[in-house]
Amino acid sequence: MRIIAKLDVKPPYVVKPVHFEGLRKVGEPRELARKYYNQGADEVFYMDIVASLYQRDIVYGPIEAAAKELFIPFAVGGGVRDLEGMSRLFHSGADKVVINTYALQHDPSLIDRAAKQFGAQSIVVSIEAKRSGDDWECYSDCGRERSGKLVMDWAREVQERGAGELLVQSVDHDGRQIGFDIDLIRNVKQLVSIPVVAASGAGSLEHIVKLAREAQPDALALASLLHYDHSDVSAVKAVLTAKSPSE
Amino acid sequence: MARPVGLIDFGSMGNIESIRNALESAGADVRIIRNARDFESVERFVLPGVGSFPEVMRRIHSSGLEEPIRDATRSCPTLGICLGMQILATVGYEFGETVGLGLIDGEVRLMQCKSSVPHIGFASIQQVCESPLFSGIDETEEFYFMHSYEFVNYTDVAALSSHGQHKFVAAVSRGKLHGVQFHPEKSRDTGIKLLRNFVEL
Repeated sequence: MRIIAKLDVKPPYVVKPVHFEGLRKVGEPRELARKYYNQGADEVFYMDIVASLYQRDIVYGPIEAAAKELFIPFAVGGGVRDLEGMSRLFHSGADKVVINTYALQHDPSLIDRAAKQFGAQSIVVSIEAKRSGDDWECYSDCGRERSGKLVMDWAREVQERGAGELLVQSVDHDGRQIGFDIDLIRNVKQLVSIPVVAASGAGSLEHIVKLAREAQPDALALASLLHYDHSDVSAVKAVLTAKSPSE
Repeated sequence: MARPVGLIDFGSMGNIESIRNALESAGADVRIIRNARDFESVERFVLPGVGSFPEVMRRIHSSGLEEPIRDATRSCPTLGICLGMQILATVGYEFGETVGLGLIDGEVRLMQCKSSVPHIGFASIQQVCESPLFSGIDETEEFYFMHSYEFVNYTDVAALSSHGQHKFVAAVSRGKLHGVQFHPEKSRDTGIKLLRNFVEL
């Protein structure tokens, strides 16, 4: 299973949103990207978590700095609204772009157009899911804005539109280190054929082993667990190899 | 001394900065190539892997790069990466049927397998013939893949890889022309080693 280090950035710092609210500074993007690369991370996701909220362009400087000499894939998201913006991200060193708010709340055809121009494999759609009865609803802007769309409907739709990968985050679990929303990840994973990246809630290696066993996502995005040095990428890989020889 | 390597820029299709950075780490003096004239100064070329098959072919035609690329592959070491490898094929089926450069026999088809597609992640490769590209790289080392389509070829396979149970072509070689399905620029030190092999060909 791929292990991805996720940097939530409020330029110029990587921050750790707690429950998608309240932010703690944890370092600079470039320095943390380098640290997780050296630990053995398979990829780095860089999410500008305020670009969409403030309706401004993403800040490119820290992206270029982090991308340089990072010889693993680097995905970037935050406030992406059009192909020009994506193109600029690719030229700043992003290998994939992550889309949420604009496609969810304004125009889902952004996904089709992006896949056609840049190839599906470089388009990641981020889903911020919040439990709602027996189902989950899609949110945007760090769990602030509802969309009225159900996660399973939206996951199927974005796959049809050409998304190459899904980043599944849970508004309820994010930053709380209480374990993953396993039902959410499992349901999405069983529904789509594109890779599913599970995020939100890892607080211990046990949480990760349980997720791997019960939901079998293609990849895992870690933030708090790494930022607070509760564990590191190599320890996560070791425990996953030990518990699931088939991976 | 750094060796000159031409990196072909198809226009705003995706990230070529990663390849530029990695080639520089591998000892290359990277020159960006945007038109026929730019080919004059360099003796080896990289076709980057960004965009979609029809879009890249459209841009190659509109920028008059097709003939220079053909000429270059006859006389100079050339490396196609991911989509840059796929467009070497006769035909591709991403978003409909598109004629490729036809430099290596074969077609590019959607991967048909039980595992998730796109195939994304690190995987080892199995070399099926001696290639200078893989010199000093053993079969436990891994490369990063990120693709939905695969190069179906029966004549010039240099290496294979697997995604779950599904085997596919990971590298092709024909004379001085090489193509890799994976991204050496995103494959840590192993990828840099491969790029250095190419730069020193």
